[in-house]
Amino acid sequence: MTALTRAQARDLIQGLSHWTRGYAPLPGAADELIGTDGTPRPAWARLAEALGPMSPGDLARGFGSAERHIREVGISYRVHGEAADRAWPVAHLPVVIDAAEWRAIAAGVAQRARLMEALLAEIHAGGEAPDGAPPAAAIVGSPNYLRPLVGVAPPGGRHLSLYAVDIGRGPDGRWWVLNDRTQAPSGAGYALENRIVLSRVYPALMERLRVQRLAPFFAAFRDGLAALGAREEPRVGLLTPGPYSETYFEQATLARYLGLPLVEGDDLVARDGSVYVRTVSGLKRIDVLWRRVDGDYCDPLALDARSRLGVPGLVAALRAGGVAMANMPGAGAVEQPALMGFMALQCRRLLGEDPLLPNIATWWCGEPAAREEALGRLDTLAFADAFVPGPSTLGAELDAAGRAALAARIRARGVDVVGQEVVRLSTTPVWRDGRLEPRPFSLRVYAAATPNGWHVMPGGFARIAERPDARAVSMGEGTLSADVWVLADAPVARVSLVPQERIRRVSGHLPSRAADDLFWLGRYLERAEATTRLVAALAAARLEGGEGGPGDETVVRLEGLVRSLGAVPEEEEEEEDAGEDGDPVGEGADAAPVAALPACDLARTALDDAAAPGSVAASIAFARRAASHLRDRLAPQAWRLVADLSPGAPPGEEAAASPADTLDRAHALLERFAAIAGLVHENMTRSDGWRLLDMGRRIERGLAACRVTGALAGAGATSADLDALLDIVDCQITYRTRYLFGPAPAPVRDLALIDPNSPRSLAFQAERILEHVRALPRLHEDGLPEPPERLAAALARGLAIADAATIDAPTLAGFEADLADLADAIGARYFPRGAAAARPEKLSGLA
Amino acid sequence: MIYRIRHVTTYSYEATVASARCVLRLTPRDDAGQARLFGDVRVVPSARLREETCFFGARLHHAEIDTPHRELRIEARARVRITRAAPAAPAEDPAFEAVRAAAATGTSRAPDAPVHALFPSQAVPAAPEIAAWASASLPAGRGVFAGASDLMRRIHAEFAYAPGETDVATPAREAFRARRGVCQDFAHVMIAGLRGLGLPARYVSGYLRTLPPAGQPRLVGADATHAWVEAWCGPDLGWIGFDPTNAALVGPDHIVLAVGRDYADVSPVDGVVVSSGGQSLSVSVDVVPEEEARGG
Repeated sequence: MTALTRAQARDLIQGLSHWTRGYAPLPGAADELIGTDGTPRPAWARLAEALGPMSPGDLARGFGSAERHIREVGISYRVHGEAADRAWPVAHLPVVIDAAEWRAIAAGVAQRARLMEALLAEIHAGGEAPDGAPPAAAIVGSPNYLRPLVGVAPPGGRHLSLYAVDIGRGPDGRWWVLNDRTQAPSGAGYALENRIVLSRVYPALMERLRVQRLAPFFAAFRDGLAALGAREEPRVGLLTPGPYSETYFEQATLARYLGLPLVEGDDLVARDGSVYVRTVSGLKRIDVLWRRVDGDYCDPLALDARSRLGVPGLVAALRAGGVAMANMPGAGAVEQPALMGFMALQCRRLLGEDPLLPNIATWWCGEPAAREEALGRLDTLAFADAFVPGPSTLGAELDAAGRAALAARIRARGVDVVGQEVVRLSTTPVWRDGRLEPRPFSLRVYAAATPNGWHVMPGGFARIAERPDARAVSMGEGTLSADVWVLADAPVARVSLVPQERIRRVSGHLPSRAADDLFWLGRYLERAEATTRLVAALAAARLEGGEGGPGDETVVRLEGLVRSLGAVPEEEEEEEDAGEDGDPVGEGADAAPVAALPACDLARTALDDAAAPGSVAASIAFARRAASHLRDRLAPQAWRLVADLSPGAPPGEEAAASPADTLDRAHALLERFAAIAGLVHENMTRSDGWRLLDMGRRIERGLAACRVTGALAGAGATSADLDALLDIVDCQITYRTRYLFGPAPAPVRDLALIDPNSPRSLAFQAERILEHVRALPRLHEDGLPEPPERLAAALARGLAIADAATIDAPTLAGFEADLADLADAIGARYFPRGAAAARPEKLSGLA
Repeated sequence: MIYRIRHVTTYSYEATVASARCVLRLTPRDDAGQARLFGDVRVVPSARLREETCFFGARLHHAEIDTPHRELRIEARARVRITRAAPAAPAEDPAFEAVRAAAATGTSRAPDAPVHALFPSQAVPAAPEIAAWASASLPAGRGVFAGASDLMRRIHAEFAYAPGETDVATPAREAFRARRGVCQDFAHVMIAGLRGLGLPARYVSGYLRTLPPAGQPRLVGADATHAWVEAWCGPDLGWIGFDPTNAALVGPDHIVLAVGRDYADVSPVDGVVVSSGGQSLSVSVDVVPEEEARGG
């Protein structure tokens, strides 16, 4: 597309007056819509033309669809220091850049990536610094400079596999480097998500405008990672700090998109110079780790001993060449502002080239000349830590005392401080209250190393400030992110991430940690469901029985069961209970002599009180925690169902009085559990992971069957007890079709425990578990059954010959103990660091 | 003077430990002022041992133990000849500002370069209050050796030696506030003070001879590993050892095990074990001059 004439462009903008009306760039800043010459930039003119036919209504519908997608997929991030994730704020309009301008940016970014690699290689080679090298303090002062990595040749041949750089357009219209990111750049996954969101809003537009696709970049990056491995088909993993990381969602997204397993430090073992993943099939060697753990946290032995995120011995494995890392630990030693002032010189020295992209002018105050200059310009520069990223201070905004303190700090330890030119970032249009407004932004651009050189992502991750006057933009309060569209000159080929590979029907080895989390996800979901069933039965018995009715004994038994599961706090303090809900039904309490709480309150407490470890709310919280480690393995829909699970809004005082309300909420919750079970049953591949999830569910369901049978179908069971039991195990209809008489103990016990065709019976669970352990991998090829298989087979056999008429409390206790042993055996076999979590302990002491 | 050193570290665990990965920095340095004649490390239960040299030049052993155990015993033995003497006060003591500028602008990243001892480190983060306190020893134009000596003497005079009140994880700021601690705390405080003023200072772990020569008092810290400070006194004087625990310059009674930025770089045994229980630790150190060992 050729540039528009000024008149054509003005017509275009005027043709869109219903939403460009009144748009004016801010004085003193460049703008992405209106160029320095006062006419629309060509890329924005093309976007404006394409948007022309869309009405505000069309846009609103598109944005609505985008926001639904964000909710459904659960795109989130966490502001540092916050516990909960936030929904991702995506700008409704992209930042658009035309191909010619992008080519210049991409060339500059690729050159800077090469420069960073050259500098890292020189730093890590050790030995004396050559003439012209930057001052040692500007490098060594970085907390990312890792001495144990000096002298280690990077396996795979490079320190840097993924480089990111924040750039911004200055008032002169040029792009400037604001920050380098060489440690473990984040945000590429958000770029991907932003693209998916905007493609919902503007499905046809992107094709018409020839927006360059991101998939080829990710394919190149993945190839680059694989090329680091020494073996033919290298195993590549993403090393994550885990769900407490601010960008865990992004890591899970990328792992899923690139088809890499997400591994935590605990999943890995370094042994004899190689690194292995713990899987249900035993230790499997891993060749390449894409690192999202900070370099100094990678190895508590060689690096920061306080780290709980790393792998002891990882650095020794790097030294031995047994594993490659992207980026190498230590790669962060060139991203600090202290080095910025030296980059142009280093570019000429190391590459023999003039820099294509300038960085913002920086004075590192460790150098006497630069320090004096910075001190002389205290009023006009921004001052920041030379090594640790953080907010900068505008000299102009300090009072006399503040300025004196800053000057004193610079004089005592100038090495710690940089002065930087204040850049007025360019603005891009954002949609605010039905019209466009200019907001400053910065752009993060990514470059991936491949065997054929650096591949720059055509696009990136834009951060837009909420306020017009922001100087620096970081993701946090009041920041929007935006997709970045690079408009191609020629039609764009459709390339998605489809590699040429042979067909496989196995999904790789299941890491032990994922096995552990899946198993416990299954257990907690089932436990929550089982307790909800008890709550429903209790509320129903209360509703039907009334006061002094025949159901009272059943209520007492159910209450005893609920208590024995720890679903309500152990010691009831009456004042506290009264304080909680005002207790308007206090008079009902005397009907249940054992309970301090009336039955409906006890049911409600078992539903809502997360402080009681066996409550529905607590089990749901545990399930969610297990699921949060599995975001790369769960379909987004399944994750959302689990994340949204809740016993419902805590009732107000009126509702608290009503067993009907508790019953309604329990039934609503049971539907949600059914939805999750259905999704798992219908949509989840029958992989090892599915088997672990299902085994967890089966163990817990078997335990529930034993307990509820023991409580309601024991020696003195009434017909109301048996009736409640049939409700809980969902067997009313089956029972009625089989028997003409009302509930009798032995037939009910048969259905609840022994009938292998009853999907809630203990026998049914035992047979499914036996199938699973037989299908799971074995560690030895001697053909002997492993402990879980032995125990499952013994349990199934015992149930096959059991007689419902003679099952008594000791028999049930025996079955329960067998299940507990089986669960332990599963843990010991498939995730040896399982529930009793033998965690690494630091050796300590002034030795 | 030749010393025989025996250093035994024993960890006892409440629960069986399945595996352990350790780094052992138990072999004395072999460099200016001292020669290592013999060095040996033994680990029980048996371990895969790999020897390497760390960035700062210490010999270290990586130990991988995959035998289940309830007790881990590490015994290090060495023979070292000490040739250094405590330095005399220098004739030319450079102004500390000149030393500060030289440390900031040098290009060398060699292990012995001052730049490695210039910045905050894990166990010695920036502590402005310690720097402010230390600045009384280094008024404008003061010689660096004189200033560092004064700082050492002030720590010795104003801080109480209080074994058992602090541990390896006690931050320098806490010991500074309490004005109490042991050799490690005093070394960290002195390092924080010097670095806060832009002067390179590093941590030295080592030993003192267990029993003093006849007629001399027994030095504090002789029954375990000891720690002191090296301050960089400009390109001509280089590194000079200051022992704030004893208010003494480092001389023939000090045996250097390792140098680093702080304790975290040189801790004699560092590692992780997979265990679910607690642990207890006992350490014994004997440092005996060879003549006495023969005579005894």
